[in-house]
Amino acid sequence: MALLTRLLPPPLRRRIDRWIAERHPRRREALVIDQRHLYILPTRFGYLFALMLVALLLAAINYQNSMAYVMTFTLTAIGILSLWQTHRNLLGLRIELLRPEPVFAGDALTLPFQLDNPGPQPRYAVGMQYGQLPPEYAGIEKGGKARIELRLPTKRRGRFRPQGVILFTRYPTGLFHAWSWMRFEVDLWVYPRPRADRKLVDQWIEDGDGQALSDTTDGDDFAGLREHQPGESLRHISWKAYAQGRGMLTKTFQGHASPALWIDYRDMQADSVEGRLSQMAALVLAAEKAGRHYGLRLPGIELEQDQGPAQRERCLQALAEFQQADPGAELPLNEDSGA
Amino acid sequence: MSNLPMGRIAEEPASRSSLFAVAFAFLFTLAPHMLHLPLWVSLFSLFAVGWRVAQELGRVPALPRWLLVPMVLFGGIGVFAQYWTITGRDPGLALLTVMASFKFLESRSHRDILILIFLCYFLLATHFLFGQSIGIALYMLAALAVITSALIAIHQRDDRLPWSNRLKISARMIALALPIMGLLFLLVPRIPGPLWGLTQEQRGGVTGLGETMRPGDISSLIQSNEVAFRVDFDGPIPPQSKLYWRGPVMVRFDGREWKQARHFALRELDIEALGEPVSYTMTLEPHGKNWLLGLDIPISVPEEPESYLSSEYQLTAEHAVNDLVRFPVRSLLDYRLGRNESFDYLLLASQFPNRYNPRTIALGQRWAREIDDPWQIVQKGLQMFRQQAFVYTLNPPLLGENSSDEFLFETRKGFCENYAGSYALLMRAAGIPARIVTGYQGGEVNEVGNYLIVRQSDAHAWVEVWLEDRGWVRIDPTAAVSPDRIEGGLDQALDDSQALFRFGRRNPVLSQLLFRWDSLQYGWNKWILQYNQERQMSLMRRLGLGIRGWGDLVLTLVIALSALVGLYIAIALWRGRPAPRPAEERALQALLRRLERSGHPRHPSEDLRAYLQRLRKEGIEDAELKYLLETWQRLRYGRDDPEQRLRQQWIQRARRWRPRRS
Repeated sequence: MALLTRLLPPPLRRRIDRWIAERHPRRREALVIDQRHLYILPTRFGYLFALMLVALLLAAINYQNSMAYVMTFTLTAIGILSLWQTHRNLLGLRIELLRPEPVFAGDALTLPFQLDNPGPQPRYAVGMQYGQLPPEYAGIEKGGKARIELRLPTKRRGRFRPQGVILFTRYPTGLFHAWSWMRFEVDLWVYPRPRADRKLVDQWIEDGDGQALSDTTDGDDFAGLREHQPGESLRHISWKAYAQGRGMLTKTFQGHASPALWIDYRDMQADSVEGRLSQMAALVLAAEKAGRHYGLRLPGIELEQDQGPAQRERCLQALAEFQQADPGAELPLNEDSGA
Repeated sequence: MSNLPMGRIAEEPASRSSLFAVAFAFLFTLAPHMLHLPLWVSLFSLFAVGWRVAQELGRVPALPRWLLVPMVLFGGIGVFAQYWTITGRDPGLALLTVMASFKFLESRSHRDILILIFLCYFLLATHFLFGQSIGIALYMLAALAVITSALIAIHQRDDRLPWSNRLKISARMIALALPIMGLLFLLVPRIPGPLWGLTQEQRGGVTGLGETMRPGDISSLIQSNEVAFRVDFDGPIPPQSKLYWRGPVMVRFDGREWKQARHFALRELDIEALGEPVSYTMTLEPHGKNWLLGLDIPISVPEEPESYLSSEYQLTAEHAVNDLVRFPVRSLLDYRLGRNESFDYLLLASQFPNRYNPRTIALGQRWAREIDDPWQIVQKGLQMFRQQAFVYTLNPPLLGENSSDEFLFETRKGFCENYAGSYALLMRAAGIPARIVTGYQGGEVNEVGNYLIVRQSDAHAWVEVWLEDRGWVRIDPTAAVSPDRIEGGLDQALDDSQALFRFGRRNPVLSQLLFRWDSLQYGWNKWILQYNQERQMSLMRRLGLGIRGWGDLVLTLVIALSALVGLYIAIALWRGRPAPRPAEERALQALLRRLERSGHPRHPSEDLRAYLQRLRKEGIEDAELKYLLETWQRLRYGRDDPEQRLRQQWIQRARRWRPRRS
């Protein structure tokens, strides 16, 4: 079958791919495999098995051997049951793509799938394959769930989308191959690989404009409440909260001791665009680690100064997507897989 | 994207569990064959499987390929040296076994295991060339379950599952397959075989009458309790004393051994009927020889198997009977036979060498001189057996060169072949043409099925003499000595010690059981083994569904199969109807309801973590609740699939939890 599709002329292959894409539109939510989207064909082993049945039947006829008939027909029945049971091994399966974690270019990106088996019988050897990558398998007990993680190689930064994933099985007898395609709508973020020499980082973050930011009980701006630690001054206890029965909480304030940073594209020293983006990514990470407020300036884009994981993510996403020629392209890209 | 992940799966290395499963399946399938395979083939297959399994366990290295190729060659040569051929049943089986064993030694990938499974299926099919009994059928089903479980092991892709799991799956599959098999067996249009010429081979090791008769042949046969054939009579079963089942007729005598003459097909019936013919159906067990058996004088020839009636009225098949056959025959029990017998044949039936048995010959010649009427001579011979102290025994003393002399004048202890042989010689010496007929006498009526069972132990030999006015007349000298043998069967003729091996038949309960078991076997033979085109059509007629030709059969088959598989699917769907929510989810909902009743409902927008925080703020400090709600996340959406134990524990604790009354 794989050989067959490889032999098809490219226009026909593209048409088949289009047909698949139409039948299996991208979706964000979980997917339940139904009859209409589940396909089944005999395997090479299945065809051989059929050939063996014909040989056994001829022998049975020729020798007028009833037991040979019985065996041939029992195996035929096993074949018929296999068709059904292989199909059933996928039918009704619920598949959800959990949120894939972003990675830096060059690292493997993991697609975590959760498979739920609502059926009354266990499912075995449910396989998933992504493009030409080796398949992964999982068995799922009845009423249980399992996880399959597909790891995709990445090479360059950007915002991508996953290809169609093939869900397949040959259980129980390998005579048939049942499969379906799944196309999920999800952004796969590949951030620029952070690359910057220490000097640059030190210069920006430490030599820059003073001490790092920190949560402290001294300072100007009220930042929030946290649990009271023994030995802390009672001056900062929130008596209001205590009165509400919320326990002893200490008020914290944020010292605005150092000014915020601007990580600016124009200030980078690398020659190439990618080099500059890599430097900026490194600075974002360093600033975040140092607890500084920072903002991002790219040609035509400015992200307000802030800090925290959300800011970090916003900045790295902006860097990943900056001047990307093919936002939303499917991973792995042709240049990656070498196909 | 349109590429299916098919080709490369076959190249994957075989998993350990699939290798072990196929090793077990191979040995299980081969085990009954080990009884008749050459010893070295059995040992080699055990070695191959053992080595490969040890290799998998890391005890021994893989055999290098340069060693395997010459070994394969030697294996093939070995089989050829054993049989001087590689075609035919036994050499073919040996070759298949040897080659499968080699395949085992060099198996590595998924694909190799699949090939081995094919070989196992073929190996299983070869069992039916050796026998088709109920026992073999049951063994086949067990072996199918074992082989199929190996197939499942490969495709289950989980080495941690115990072997019992896949054996259960495969046994269930076989159980589901049986009704489908039944439909296919009944309804797939049967084609009369054979499609191509079969190699005829005489198979050894099957009990039955011999080509020749020497003293001792039949008495050794008689020890066997095996069924020779079963008979359904169209009318009532004739009395025991009339049940002479005609087998090989021996007319050539060299002084020591009786042999058959060359066979000629009968041109014209030379028989005068004195009564109505009897119709019956024989179900003959395979015995590896050409003759079919018939009651007394058969006068019809069945179409299937291809056969003819010999000039000695022996029903003879064109090919050796290597499989169970069932055929209808008509016979005459009262007749005048062969009054126009050819002179040549009568001459043959009168010859005897002078070198052996001088005293017997002298006695015969003296009778010829003293008595004119041949019929008187015939009676004289029988009188001698009756009046002198002859004993009928299964274990006659060993006789020397002049066996008839020793038997008639010294030991006087013998079995039917001693009586028949000596009597025939006496008659020839007295100038009366005589021949030996071997076959079976009597039979046992199975009241359960109302049919007759004839066993090897009913084997018998008697004499036919030719008289001018009467033609061939059956004379049973054994009956003269031991009338019980003819009237009551062997059991009554022999004393207890000799008949001990048939104790079962004298015990009423056991004998009833034995009859039932035989009835089952007979039904098996009749309905399963002999189910052919003719039976299929007659069954369809009897069902009265108007199924006439091929097309009707196929249509019925398709409808019945769809209905059956549809039923399976419907049952599966019913069992798989929307399952209740998972137990842990129900436990959580119950817990949340209890919380709600205690006055702390969860806001719809709140997730469990936020809810827990709020509860704490609202003064509900409960370590157990904290554990339950925090673990829930991990349980339901956790990164690693939680163990079953953890889940069960969680469910129990969640069910137990009650809000504290404040």
